[in-house]
Formats: sequence, structure tokens, C-alpha cells
Amino acid sequence: MPPWVGVAVRTGARRVLAEPSALLMQVFFYLLVTGAVTSLWRVAVEANGGTVAGYDARALTWYLALSEGAYLAVHSRIIEEIGDDVAGGTVASEMLRPAPVVGVRLATELGKALPRLAVNCGAGVLLCLLTVGAPPSTAGLLLAVPAMLLAGACNLAAMHGVAALTFWLRDARTSWFLYQKLIFIFGGMLLPLQVLPPWLHDVAVRLPFMTMTYVPARLASGHVEPELLLVQLGWLAVLAAFATSAFAGGERRLQAVGG
Amino acid sequence: MASAACKRWVVDVRAIAATSRGAFAESVANPKAFWAQVAAMMINDLGWMAFWVLFFDEVGEVRGWDGERALLLLAVFATSAGLVLGLFTNARHIGRMAADGELDAALALPVPPLTYLLVRRISPVNLGDVLFGIVLFAVSGRPDAGRVGIFVVGVAASAGLLLGFLVVTGSLGFFVGHGETGDLGFNAILLLANYPADFFGGPTKLVLYTVIPAAFVTAVPATLIDEFDWAQAALLLAASATFLVAAWATFTLGLRRYSSGSVWTQA
Repeated sequence: MPPWVGVAVRTGARRVLAEPSALLMQVFFYLLVTGAVTSLWRVAVEANGGTVAGYDARALTWYLALSEGAYLAVHSRIIEEIGDDVAGGTVASEMLRPAPVVGVRLATELGKALPRLAVNCGAGVLLCLLTVGAPPSTAGLLLAVPAMLLAGACNLAAMHGVAALTFWLRDARTSWFLYQKLIFIFGGMLLPLQVLPPWLHDVAVRLPFMTMTYVPARLASGHVEPELLLVQLGWLAVLAAFATSAFAGGERRLQAVGG
Repeated sequence: MASAACKRWVVDVRAIAATSRGAFAESVANPKAFWAQVAAMMINDLGWMAFWVLFFDEVGEVRGWDGERALLLLAVFATSAGLVLGLFTNARHIGRMAADGELDAALALPVPPLTYLLVRRISPVNLGDVLFGIVLFAVSGRPDAGRVGIFVVGVAASAGLLLGFLVVTGSLGFFVGHGETGDLGFNAILLLANYPADFFGGPTKLVLYTVIPAAFVTAVPATLIDEFDWAQAALLLAASATFLVAAWATFTLGLRRYSSGSVWTQA
């Protein structure tokens, strides 16, 4: 692994750890979101005789704690920020470094996500233990730990790929909240994929968004399905290749525009 | 004396109207970008619509809420939040501006600073919410004269309350010295207003009707459209008026503690 990867990851993590008040606010927001969504689903489960789409209240609470934790650990406006950096020329100056622009950015963002992931997981586990008790399966919860890391990596790679469209479109700012909604529904962030009608479920499991929130959440909800980690690894390779090639194409175009 | 006050008021209203026109002209200066942002937000809101449809399709009616009423809640929310964040964009930035000392430009003008700041910027993206909310109500809200009337008044009260709440939490930045109170208030109320208040119980429900009045932003107006009740309507209007007065008072008191950051911005 090139040395700049470790440096970028450490720098990203240190930046987040240097602002404990922002981290505290992030945990507060995470608990607020998770508390609201889990309340909603618990009431629905109660009104439906104890299960919804095969999940009981305990499984759903653990599911949502992990899906929200994975989603909120990654900065959601990266697409917009990269768009601004492309338009403002920051990316052009980053191209002078002896390391790939997208690689350094991805590693830095991954470093930033790690502390957030850790505090979200801690707060989420505490919330679940206090509201519904122990996880449905310890093995599932242990598998969810690497799945959370892979979920963050897949999400970051996909966002960088989408953001690279800015090289061609010039303004892709609004695409960040459209991307966000795809994770809400096809990623299983707000509702397990089993809630979707069969045809939509079949579409969702063929898309990469499921790797970003559904996989760790599914594992933590007591479904010991280690093959889901392989699905994440496969998609990570595809998404990383997509982001790298999109940036490479965009950088060539940026050079051409700049003369 | 009264005549001088009246003249002053007319001058203020003219100046604020001119500022609004300027902000609007600025936002539509690039019509393609303006409509692209409006359309993107409308597509984005379809995501929330899909969520509620899928949710109630799976769980049926829960605590008096079904898919139709959830869409009513979404229509009220999109319209009122879109109006506040679209037409009074700075409402969510007051905390940061106060804490960073960025109000100098507004204070130097001969107009009420809070009103000026609120109308100074328009966000086209959020105007997409307004359009979406109105269309959603027209399509799924079974509109008739009575329901349209309640929708309009309910949205106005909801928007007033949301605006007041954002200014109150933002103005706390004058006292605590950082703008995070505004961000926290903004995120908390928008998040909680997404869900029917009846889904929460005990202390959380109490919070939704008091400290973070998200229930008055969406659940109460949406329920009024289906089941009108004079007492609830009066409570909604009173809550809205209270937060608007509190917003003016908190901002005015906060200004006494304002210290310039020597930053000259366009606010």
C-alpha cells in the first residue's frame, strides 16, 4: 500500500477528533434520528401483531441503529463539495501532488468516517441495549463490524464516482440529495429491503446501495449471512474502479479545458 | 407622532419589498439553473413519498394514521418548510452569522435588521418543495373549498412557527457564542416534523409540542385538514404567534450582545 494512504487516513481521523464538540453534536443527531425512526417502526410492529416483514421490534431496532449509524458516519455532502472544488479549481491544484486526487480524497474521507463510525456504533449499541435489550445474534453483530467499515467505503467510493460527473456537467450540486434518497429506499436505510414489493426488492438487491446501509443492518438484526460481506467486497471493487476511472477521465478533460 | 411612525413603517415596508425583489431577481438570474434546482428537489421529495407509501402499505393504519394522511403531512411539511427555507433562507444561518460577527452590513442599513436578513436570500432548491407540496395536496389531499382553506391557513401557521423557531434557536448564538444551537434546532425540528407526532409517546411527545414544536409544524395542521377542531386550530395559531414574538424578542435582545467580527458580507 502506498505510504500516502495511511497518512491521508490518519489526517482525516485527526481532523474529526480535533473537534470534539462537532463529534458530540453528530452523536446527538444520530441518537435523535435513530430514536425517531425506531419509535416509528416499534409502533408499527406493535400494531401488526409483533412482526413486520419478518422482523420483530428487537430486530428492527438493531437494524435501524446500524443502518443510521453507517449512513451518518459518512459526510453526506461530499458530492456537493467536490463539485465546488472542481468548479473553484481546488482539484486542479491537487493534481500537482504525486498521488492520485481521488485516492487521497477517498482515504481522507475514510479517515474522517472512522471516528464517527466508532461513536455512532457505541451510542447505537447503548440505545438498543437500553430500549430492546441484547442483539438477536452475537455472531450477526460481530459480522456487522467489518460490514460497517465496508459500507462506509462503498458509500464513499460511489459518492466520489457520482461527484466526478461535475467534470462534465459543471453543476452537480443537487445530485447529492437525490443520491441520498436512493440510499433511503434502495439502500434499506429507512426500511428493510424485505418491506419493498417483490419487484422493487429484486431491483434493490441488484444495486450497490444495499451495501451502504442494508448489509450491516441486516447482519445486526440477527441474520447471520456472511456472504453479504462478499457482496460488499465485490461492489467496493466495482465502485472504486468507477470512481478512479471517472476522476481520471475528468482530470484529462480539466487539463484540456485549462489549456 | 402617529403619522411619523406610519411614514417610517411605509418606508421600511418599501425597503424590505425592494430587498425581496432583489433577492428573487438574483435567484432567477440563471433560469436554467433555477428550474433545474426546483425540479431536483421535487424528485427528491418523491423519495419521502415512496417511503410513506411503502411503510403504510406494509403496516396498514397505525394510531389513526394511514398512507393518505401521511401524504397530507408530507404536503404540509414540504410547503411550509419550502416557504421558510426558500423565501427566508437566512433563517437557518442566523446563529452562525451572529456568532461569527457577520451582521455588520445589515446593522448599517436603515431597515429592521431581522426582517432584512430574513428576506435577503432566496433558495431556489427549497422553492421546489413548495411546488411539490402544493401538487401533492392537489393530487392526494382531496381538495375542496374547506380543505384548501384549512391547508392554506395551516401551512401559514406552520411556516410562521418554523420561522420563529429557527430564529429563536439561531439567536441563541448571540448568547452562547457559537452557531451550533441554530444548526441543532434546524436539524432537530426538520427531522422530527417528518413523522406523525402520535407515533411517539410520553416525554418525547411532550417535547414535540413544546421545546421542539415539530408537532405544530406538520401533524397538527395535517390532522386539522381531515378532522377540523376549533380548539386545536386556536392552539396552532397561538403557538405560531408565540414563536414569532419569541423570535423577534430573542433576536433583539441578542443584538445587544453582538460583537462585530469585522467581516463585511452581503448577509
